[in-house]
Amino acid sequence: MLYLELFIQGLVQGSIYGLIALGLTLVYGLLRILHVAHAALFTLGGYIGVVVTNTTGSFPLAIVVAMVAVGLVGMAVYKLAYEPLLHRPPYIALIASIALFIASEEIFRIVFGPFGLSYIDPPLQGQIEIFAGFRLKYGEILVMGIAIVMLSALAWLSAKTRTGIAWRATVTDPEMAAAFGINIQNVRYLNFFIASALAAVAGVLVALLNNLVEPTMGSVPSYKALAIIVLGGLGSIRGTLVASLALGIIESFGTIYVGHLLDRDALAFAFLILILMVRPQGLLGGK
Amino acid sequence: MLDVKNLSAGYGDIVAVRDFSFLLKPGKILALLGVNGAGKSSTLMTLMGIVEQKGGEILLDGVDISNLAANRRIRQGMAIVPEGRRIFSDLSVQENLTIGGHIVDAATLKRGIAQAYEYFPRLAERMGQKAGSLSGGEQQMLAIGRALVSNPRLLLVDELSLGLMPKIIDECYDVLAKLRSDGMAIILVEQNTERALAVADDVAVLEAGNSVWSGSAADAANDSSLVETFLGTA
Repeated sequence: MLYLELFIQGLVQGSIYGLIALGLTLVYGLLRILHVAHAALFTLGGYIGVVVTNTTGSFPLAIVVAMVAVGLVGMAVYKLAYEPLLHRPPYIALIASIALFIASEEIFRIVFGPFGLSYIDPPLQGQIEIFAGFRLKYGEILVMGIAIVMLSALAWLSAKTRTGIAWRATVTDPEMAAAFGINIQNVRYLNFFIASALAAVAGVLVALLNNLVEPTMGSVPSYKALAIIVLGGLGSIRGTLVASLALGIIESFGTIYVGHLLDRDALAFAFLILILMVRPQGLLGGK
Repeated sequence: MLDVKNLSAGYGDIVAVRDFSFLLKPGKILALLGVNGAGKSSTLMTLMGIVEQKGGEILLDGVDISNLAANRRIRQGMAIVPEGRRIFSDLSVQENLTIGGHIVDAATLKRGIAQAYEYFPRLAERMGQKAGSLSGGEQQMLAIGRALVSNPRLLLVDELSLGLMPKIIDECYDVLAKLRSDGMAIILVEQNTERALAVADDVAVLEAGNSVWSGSAADAANDSSLVETFLGTA
């Protein structure tokens, strides 16, 4: 039963990783930029979630507000930070992104204070017994539920709607997409909105599970999400999801069985190094 | 319908086309001939708004479209079958055609896709397949079909025959002839001079970005020195 327990805990953590890393993959796929500042949007989502919940008492409202507000901020990040650098080598945008990420931690410190915020009356703390002796918090179930709903919605959007098809065409060949009348700029805005909104949900959920948001909450996810998208094969959406869940599960088992040797975060990178030695193109990446 | 005056275009400091003028009427095929690097493809890409225009005018039905962004030009009734086909390889055949009709409403899109399948029945058999898995000939058919979904009046076709089997080339040219008889204007860039002269009404020859000869396809075919001088042996 311990195995199943660790497996499910791994899925919860993997769902969070998936929500964060997917946005990175979306940005990388479209613009070939490593969007380090994505983790700042994750933190911002957490703050907005806590503040709106504490002010209005409504957790669902907080999720919606966080998604929309952070989605818009993501669009602004593209417009102000990345668009002017698109004609330069990609590492220039990467440097800008790192700068933005570092600056954001200080902004969070100034605006929300250095000690972090918590839910006054944390929602969804009840537990449900999955099987004898194993309980999950409602919040943890919500994490998996939201991940499934969001990813299904995204899959539906990209496969079944004309907007989604236009989006995928733009990823493949932006110049030809434009020649067929697609407004590439709008595709990029949409891409950043969706990527950032997913990070925001993840932020709200992590804030719920830890009952804490603090300025540096994004630093571990920022490099771990980079590891995940490399692991998944850069730009591969399916690879990102597989890598996220795999990493969640491996961390979950690893902390129990080899936790005395390597801590949780070191495990993630040991796993990354191991996989890349065998498959340099990542789990599901092309050549 | 298309009146190009003193067109110049290029990439950065490099000029690929210089002072190129020509006129194209509905129901006519203009062939652009010349060796590799003469500026034929650049001319098409400039008309489509992808390569930077540096001078001159592009009048489509009397309206200068020189300053329109690439994604607006297709709305003026033009579409391209680009060099190397450039189909969206990760998308299915049906999705590629959907992109071809990105600018039209759902009903027109449905009609346009049905029309493309009518021209190229083999595409209909492969509609759910990833475009990247098609054979070269099928990809060319898809590139043509994709350009037709928006129902353009002006079609730009780049290197139709390159690397294809003669039977497939025939099939593609039959479609172009049919489109012309329906009143479509077509600009054709073609390495295969013989093919081009057989189907075109008019010919313009480019050399190093300059227009060096223009006239009817019949005159071009009879002028053996032209063919030898600028195009190599046909």
